[in-house]
Amino acid sequence: MVARLAHSRPAATRRSAFRSALCGALLGATAGGAVAGVNEAKEAAPVAVANDTEGSLANATEASLANDTDGNLANDTAEAGVALRAAKVLVCAAEGPQAIDHGRVLIQGDRIVGVGPAADLAVPDGWTEVDCGANWLMPGMIDLHSHVGGAFDINDTVYQVNSGLRVSATLRPANRALEVALASGVTTVLYIPGSGSNIGGVGVLHKTGPGGYEDVVVRDPGSLKVAQGDNPTRWGYGMSRLLMNYHIRSSMRAGKAYARAWVDHEEESAPEPARRLNLDVYRALLSGETQISTHTQYYQVVLASLRLLRAETGFDMYIDHGSFDSWRLGGVAKELGVAAILGPRTVLFPGSRRFDTDGRAEGTPWGFQQQGVELIGFNTDAPVVPQHELSVQAAMGVRYGMDDSGMGSVRGLTIVPAIVAGIDDRLGSLEAGKHADILVVTGHPADPRTSVERVYIEGEVVYDAEQEARRW
Amino acid sequence: MRFPLHVKAALAAGLLFAAAPLVRASFTPPTFDDEEESEEGEESAEEDGPDTRYFAVVGADIHTGTGEVLRGATLLSKNGKIQAIGYDIEIPGRDFQADVPSAERGYTTEVLDATGFRVYPGMVAIESSGLLGTGGDFRDSIDPFDQNMVLGLGAGITSTGQGSSAVKLKRYVSDGTDVDYDFDGVVLRDKWYTTMSYNSANSRRSLREDLERASQYIREYRKWQEDVKSDKELKEPSKKGVNGSVVEVLTGQIMAKFRADSREELLGIARIAQEYGFRPVIDGAREGWTVADELGRAGAYAIVTPRERRDKNELLVRDGGSSIENAAILHAAGVQIAIKPGSRGVSLGGITGRDIMHLPVEVGFAIRGGLPEEAAVASVTTVPARMMGVAHRVGTLAKGRDCDLIVTDGDLLHYQTFVQWAVVDGKVVYDKEAELFFAHIRPRAETEVAPLQRLDAGENEEEEEGDEDDDDEKDKKKDDEDDD
Repeated sequence: MVARLAHSRPAATRRSAFRSALCGALLGATAGGAVAGVNEAKEAAPVAVANDTEGSLANATEASLANDTDGNLANDTAEAGVALRAAKVLVCAAEGPQAIDHGRVLIQGDRIVGVGPAADLAVPDGWTEVDCGANWLMPGMIDLHSHVGGAFDINDTVYQVNSGLRVSATLRPANRALEVALASGVTTVLYIPGSGSNIGGVGVLHKTGPGGYEDVVVRDPGSLKVAQGDNPTRWGYGMSRLLMNYHIRSSMRAGKAYARAWVDHEEESAPEPARRLNLDVYRALLSGETQISTHTQYYQVVLASLRLLRAETGFDMYIDHGSFDSWRLGGVAKELGVAAILGPRTVLFPGSRRFDTDGRAEGTPWGFQQQGVELIGFNTDAPVVPQHELSVQAAMGVRYGMDDSGMGSVRGLTIVPAIVAGIDDRLGSLEAGKHADILVVTGHPADPRTSVERVYIEGEVVYDAEQEARRW
Repeated sequence: MRFPLHVKAALAAGLLFAAAPLVRASFTPPTFDDEEESEEGEESAEEDGPDTRYFAVVGADIHTGTGEVLRGATLLSKNGKIQAIGYDIEIPGRDFQADVPSAERGYTTEVLDATGFRVYPGMVAIESSGLLGTGGDFRDSIDPFDQNMVLGLGAGITSTGQGSSAVKLKRYVSDGTDVDYDFDGVVLRDKWYTTMSYNSANSRRSLREDLERASQYIREYRKWQEDVKSDKELKEPSKKGVNGSVVEVLTGQIMAKFRADSREELLGIARIAQEYGFRPVIDGAREGWTVADELGRAGAYAIVTPRERRDKNELLVRDGGSSIENAAILHAAGVQIAIKPGSRGVSLGGITGRDIMHLPVEVGFAIRGGLPEEAAVASVTTVPARMMGVAHRVGTLAKGRDCDLIVTDGDLLHYQTFVQWAVVDGKVVYDKEAELFFAHIRPRAETEVAPLQRLDAGENEEEEEGDEDDDDEKDKKKDDEDDD
């Protein structure tokens, strides 16, 4: 069901593409976007155009119709698809128009093949149209910090460095927590080990819908989980930051050297290194195939994270909590190209042990935004905040000061985590070529009053509140 | 067992099933009720005195909580009670007697220009903890400077149930001339419910015994009341073994509150309530949606947390567990719904949107499950006020009610909306821009004239005279600026 996709570009390149595309958007080169996709789709033979967003603005404007996936869609024209029509379509593309009023989304097989205004984008002959009325369409939401994908014994603390452990072995697709998550519109999560050790192990990106492991896995390794600050100190031997930082730094160096040795072997016919299972994940880190998701919160801890995990290694990492006062490091994070996936604690109230707020209640998304960080996403740390309340995290981000004029609340639930996790080639927006993971919602997704009426994963209806008991 | 005096009084007066009177449970000072009534009754005829305080909100869209919305209307209160809501309302000191210096007018007037904002009744949280004082008798334990009270007001709550009391978030603010703090005014009602339990076989048996004895006692007491007229020697029926609180429930003076979630308990409560003729308050009611009709027929009230998630016991072959539609289904069956969040207190740990400061977020989840918006607003205003027997004071904006209101920058139930001002008893007790917490978030547009104005006659002319009052006035203005 899920096409396993080869990762073609390192994340760093993808980021720079995003940035140049964003510049393009700011310069007014936004005319293409979704509408360009429309014209293409009108030809009745939706074509997946190979994507090369690196560099030129011209290419950036075509991003919404382009994709770099398997490229088989052009051959699928015989298969009739489904057209969804809705009062509003939240596109959530990396750049370009973010919303289309009275829009239409064309689904063929497991993919989106066209998105545009209903007036411009016709329903191809023989296709079924589903009229969603006053509802809105949006991409399935993505949570990059979740612990409810399976068994809860995923917090090994016998050793402090566990880079050889993988939570994918414990995944239970469509378990009860995920059933509700799915009904709340969360379609993809990063299931990661707990934060009881400095390096918890390897997470897995998976979908929340039904199926077996192969059906739901998006990417394994989903991330390498690193934890700093408070939680690992529960180890019980009186460990403090010195040992924590030592653990992390020495592991990073050993891992990187191991990964290098493999690159040298493959590219320069150096001798084959001895296989070390506990370091294999670093090969994926070095190639940009995966990232480090970092449990890091207070100012000082985040500073150490940025230094140890990014500045010193060059690995792709993101802040994965960023609670309390760490937003003050937003400028540093931005300079290092580090994104902020914020939650579950998103407001800093005046208190001790932290930066003085002058009595203000400071929203962390507001703070990171103030510092110029563009990639701001939200997480739940489920079950700390229930998996199905991901959207509330975005609502609270906006409540406590985040400027939502650029639809940052919705982007932080969709395209931003997709970019940050390096899966934006298939997920995170409603664009031609991407997985048809689509939500039918009654209004703005951040509003708790909004309900999710139907969920599509890869073109299939996996939840329909009208047909079954409403789960959430 | 001794009965509170007012129970006797109510029994004697034959007010057996009347609405709960505003009385203190422990004892009734002889003049307490009378004072309240006479004050209200004579208010309109009362002359303005030096302590008379007028307060008006002008220009806002007033949501009265009764279904009405008055666009750009005026609300006028006098001494903390609403005097008028509507249009063409003359504000003393502004629309007449404007040229009379306030010292000679014999009253003070404050006008809040809330043009572009919305006015709602202050929210009534059916349950909270730690918003003011430490409990017990709140007249004694109130901390009128409590930070949590400020946060509660900032969250739009002006009244709440704490323990079994109904209390007001009466923050101490003084303009320098009025230094009194009305300790008695903190408490709306001392005891609005007694706890009943239907959770175990034992509690069911003892509850039934209590109810049986109490209703037996009431029957005997009533009979005695008649018979004693002809036979003065007749002995009053014995109160031995009779639970006084249960008598209060059966005579309609207080409510019976159950903590119950399972369908079996809910059905049992509905049955027993109908049998003994009282309306139960059910706290929790998780599986209420499976027995909504029965609860509706029993006239139940329910306190629900729409966001609560609990799977049913898989061994049971029936519907069960929590449902996001619980509030909506119960409401449709006629059950009155009050909503409380998962966390009753103020949470400053950073996880946000789940505590008492985010009541509208919790209400939002009931709407997500299908509860109509009007019932949703009622779940944090009129319904809890009614449950606590204080609906004649708070929960709606109407003539004669307490002037407890909030001014918001948007829809009460939208997650982005902030309370701009909170008013309790006709006094501004919270101003978002003047507090540290949220002033930096989407600050109000600056206006040429300060929105809150104290009307003093001839301000401009008096400048030349340079009398003492004027200096005071200047100082006050300076202080205001400093605050900004």
